[in-house]
Amino acid sequence: MSEITLRNVSKIYGSDDAAVNNINLDIKDGEFMVLLGPSGCGKSTTLRMIAGLESITAGDIFIDGKLINDIDPAERDLAIVFQNYALYPHMNVAANLAFGLKLRKVPKDQIESRILKTANTLGISELLTRRPRELSGGQQQRVALGRAMVREPVAFLFDEPLSNLDAKLRATMRTELVKLHNDLGTTIIHVTHDQVEAMTMGDRICIMRKGIIEQVGKPLEVYRNPANIFVAGFLASPPMNLIEGSFEQEGDSLKIEVSGITLTIPAHFANAYGNVHSRKDVILGIRPEDIYTDSNDGRYTCMETQVVAVEALGPETIMVVKLPGGKEISARLDRSFRAPIGSALKLYADIERMHLFDPETEKAIVAR
Amino acid sequence: MKRLLAVIISIIFLSSPVKAETIRLLMETVPDTKYIQELLPEFEKQTGIKVEMEVISYNDMHAKLIPQLLSAKGSYDGIVVDFYWVGEFIKAGWLMPLDDLVQRDKFNTSVYVPKLTDLVGKVDGVQYMLPFYNYSMAVIYRKDLLEDPKEQAAFKAKYGIDLKVPTDWDEYWKQVEFFTRDTDNDGKKDLYGTVIQGQRGDCVSMQWANFLYGMGGRFQDKDWNPTINSDAGIKAMEAYREAVVKFSPPGSESFCFDEAANVMAQGKAYSLQTFNIMFAGFDDPESSKVVGKVGITSNPGGGLNGGWGWAIPNSSQNKEAVWKFYQWVESYEIAKKRALLGGAPTQTRIFTDPDVIAKRPYYPILGEILAGSQDFPVFTYTTELVEKMGLEFNLAATGEKEPKAALDAANAAYRKLLIKDGKISE
Amino acid sequence: MNTRAASGLERGDRRFGLMLTAPGLAVLFLVIIFPLLFALITSFFDYTLINPNHDTFVGLDNYQEVLDEEYILTSLWVTLKFVLASVMIEFAIGFSVALALNSVTRFKNFYYLILLAPLLINPVVVGLLWRMILHTELGIANYAISLMNIDPVNWLGNANAAFWTVVMVDIWHQFSFMAILLLAGLASLPREPYEAARVDGASSFSCFIHITLPLMRPVIIVALLLRFVFAIKTFDIVFIMTKGGPGTATDIISYFIYRAAFFGLDIGRASAMSIALLLIVLALTIYLYRYMTSLR
Repeated sequence: MSEITLRNVSKIYGSDDAAVNNINLDIKDGEFMVLLGPSGCGKSTTLRMIAGLESITAGDIFIDGKLINDIDPAERDLAIVFQNYALYPHMNVAANLAFGLKLRKVPKDQIESRILKTANTLGISELLTRRPRELSGGQQQRVALGRAMVREPVAFLFDEPLSNLDAKLRATMRTELVKLHNDLGTTIIHVTHDQVEAMTMGDRICIMRKGIIEQVGKPLEVYRNPANIFVAGFLASPPMNLIEGSFEQEGDSLKIEVSGITLTIPAHFANAYGNVHSRKDVILGIRPEDIYTDSNDGRYTCMETQVVAVEALGPETIMVVKLPGGKEISARLDRSFRAPIGSALKLYADIERMHLFDPETEKAIVAR
Repeated sequence: MKRLLAVIISIIFLSSPVKAETIRLLMETVPDTKYIQELLPEFEKQTGIKVEMEVISYNDMHAKLIPQLLSAKGSYDGIVVDFYWVGEFIKAGWLMPLDDLVQRDKFNTSVYVPKLTDLVGKVDGVQYMLPFYNYSMAVIYRKDLLEDPKEQAAFKAKYGIDLKVPTDWDEYWKQVEFFTRDTDNDGKKDLYGTVIQGQRGDCVSMQWANFLYGMGGRFQDKDWNPTINSDAGIKAMEAYREAVVKFSPPGSESFCFDEAANVMAQGKAYSLQTFNIMFAGFDDPESSKVVGKVGITSNPGGGLNGGWGWAIPNSSQNKEAVWKFYQWVESYEIAKKRALLGGAPTQTRIFTDPDVIAKRPYYPILGEILAGSQDFPVFTYTTELVEKMGLEFNLAATGEKEPKAALDAANAAYRKLLIKDGKISE
Repeated sequence: MNTRAASGLERGDRRFGLMLTAPGLAVLFLVIIFPLLFALITSFFDYTLINPNHDTFVGLDNYQEVLDEEYILTSLWVTLKFVLASVMIEFAIGFSVALALNSVTRFKNFYYLILLAPLLINPVVVGLLWRMILHTELGIANYAISLMNIDPVNWLGNANAAFWTVVMVDIWHQFSFMAILLLAGLASLPREPYEAARVDGASSFSCFIHITLPLMRPVIIVALLLRFVFAIKTFDIVFIMTKGGPGTATDIISYFIYRAAFFGLDIGRASAMSIALLLIVLALTIYLYRYMTSLR
């Protein structure tokens, strides 16, 4: 049970740019925190600094208020599950689980009972005498997890543990990990580049890019209010459509001209944005799921488009269409919807759910 | 007519090679080889025969020779034979008798020092080799110390006899004792009376032979009964051990020729029993700190007679050309040129040739050393005897075995080998 | 999968493989099996350099002669001591150096070069070099220790010292072989188990004991066995430096056999010794291999 706090933490390798650049993060006791970001964003480095496998160039890391910068990994009492599991190849499963306990001088009978309990929980009781190379990927994954669990650490650190599993197993393990977290209630930091994992597993997500934190929040909160263009474009699949445009003032009403389409911004909306129209250029964001094939009694804005590609996924149909100005956007439509490629198609956007971003700062223009 | 012509032409082409002949010889890396290499262009110009010499160290020679001697067509047309190997090579029938060639070309073999003809020339009356150079062992000593009046007075006072070039063993041994000292009074000896080369095997065997001769001992009587463990032998071994402990630098139980010579060359020893061919090196400023300070004399009682002979193996593929080369290299003219360069002569007249003496005044002494030298056992198993004796001598030199016990063992080993060779019966 | 088609393919593969390996196998036969058989046959004949023929069958006489050799047991004992001492010390030094080098990142090639230098020198040259260095009166070894007020050592003249001197020179010459082999093993170890172990609470020492050693076991076994076999064949250093002396202090078996062949001219006896030695080494190697692979 523990709180993990990062204060102005940086990691710089040699003379390169910072791998992690002055980040601050508070992970609450018992929280399932997901560090999400593309490769090279610094999420693994952050995790390894917490674990003590990397030194901290600048800043402080606290566990339960205790500064751990210079504390040996052995004494941080954290457990880590690696992407490639990192099992001890020369030990059987039981020995793999027992290793950390032996080093901590846990009494023998206790080691045994804890191994059995953990093995039962994870369904690997049958495997205890096998060597890692005799196990499948999924089994190895469970053993790695077991090795972490059996230690009953103050927090778990997961370094992309699911990315080597096939899609089906990954989905199963996702739910199992969440269940596990609910049962144990231990703090978990989970590093991944998979935004589905992030959305489904995390109490909160911390989205990173190029060594900095772009946004921290509950999954749906981040989904609803991406703080900037990067988060908007990273989360969800297909991601939010981002279209460059410009404001037009026509009498009392504010309009946005994007790729050959003029959208009238509803009055109450325009007011909420205040003096937003003093800007000229803007980026408009609209999620594919906010685009429809009917106008909802004229409440949605009509767009004349041309079909470019149709991805019939089964549960839904993703339609890639071209706006009059040439910009391509995607729309998430009903699974039965079809339209021939190249045909003209009228689509309707729910302007109420649009996002606006400042093209210079890339930050969301927040409604007041 | 046409057929005759064809036959004649083919005979010409087959019998007299148009291209220059080449002969190959296996030689040891010693100064005498170098001197010949310097003179070789003369021979090649005279005869058109090209001489290729493969020059290797003594350690590798025996092992390298044997396969070539065993095969029907060896890669060496001519070889040099150490006296150690003579018994073995003759017994195995590897060497070609030279008598027919000697007679045909009226090559005069009486020019050689008889001791060397016996050692590396004739075996049981058959001429198998021509003596190439001699390495009989001698005593090299510090002339400057010996002639120093102060030393002479001190020596006389201590022993009651004059300090001069030693002629008998006791006299020599007193000098060895006398000159072993700590000259700078730092508690450590820095001048040694002699330098022992006690390394197991060849090195100790050869040097110990000089001790044996010095005591008047021999390896066997005239009926080949081994006498290594005679009283003279035991006295020799006791003196040898005494030298290791008292008169020679520590570590000399492991020295061989080169290490021992180095000590002498660094001015840290009064005397050294070694091969006469090493003498020139002590007058070379590049390798010696005692240039002009050394003299050479016979080992008291005679030193070990050693030598190499030229031979033509039966596996030679170019016997005539090699014979031509041997006639050239052993001609008086070339033998003298070799001596002038520093070679160790084998022909009696060279030692007293006025030109040679003019350049190398000590050559008459070399002649005396050779004339007074003693023979080492030469039979089929000389090399094995050297190894077996060499182990026992070394054990005695290091003090691991009592002299008597070591010599008994050496004697027994010698007897066994002589029986194996049929020299004596059980 | 269609097994019939596969086995046809396999047959073809096997034939092609055989074709590729045939020349190699032939060479192997010529350079290994043939001399071995020759030695085995010769060991039952009175085959000498004086009379190099297989015309006198003597049964086990040569073997009996070997057993009767006065110093043969001493030589075997010296060989065993030499092999154990040099291989064990080489292993200890080699492993330490390999561990040190494995964590070095800068100037790695430079260290490799220094490390490999002795290994590239011909053993005969190594022997001559050290003979000069160890000359009791004129060598730099005794000079160097005299500067530290240590009495001169009779490196090669004292039986005990000479044995350890030869061991030391052999180690100097050969330990880098061990170091390089072990270093290659260390470099190929996976990094992850170490990180897992550190998080699991292991110190550097327990990482070494519980991760490095077990993971390195196959490499260690190979390195030890290779050096073990090579060390038994050590010849040049002894031949050049001591000729087996002083006394029998460094009289290793390969020089013993050499003497029988080239000084004793008795190839039959030398072959008998070689065959006997081969059997001993083979038995020891199998035993050591079994022993080391059974260690947990």
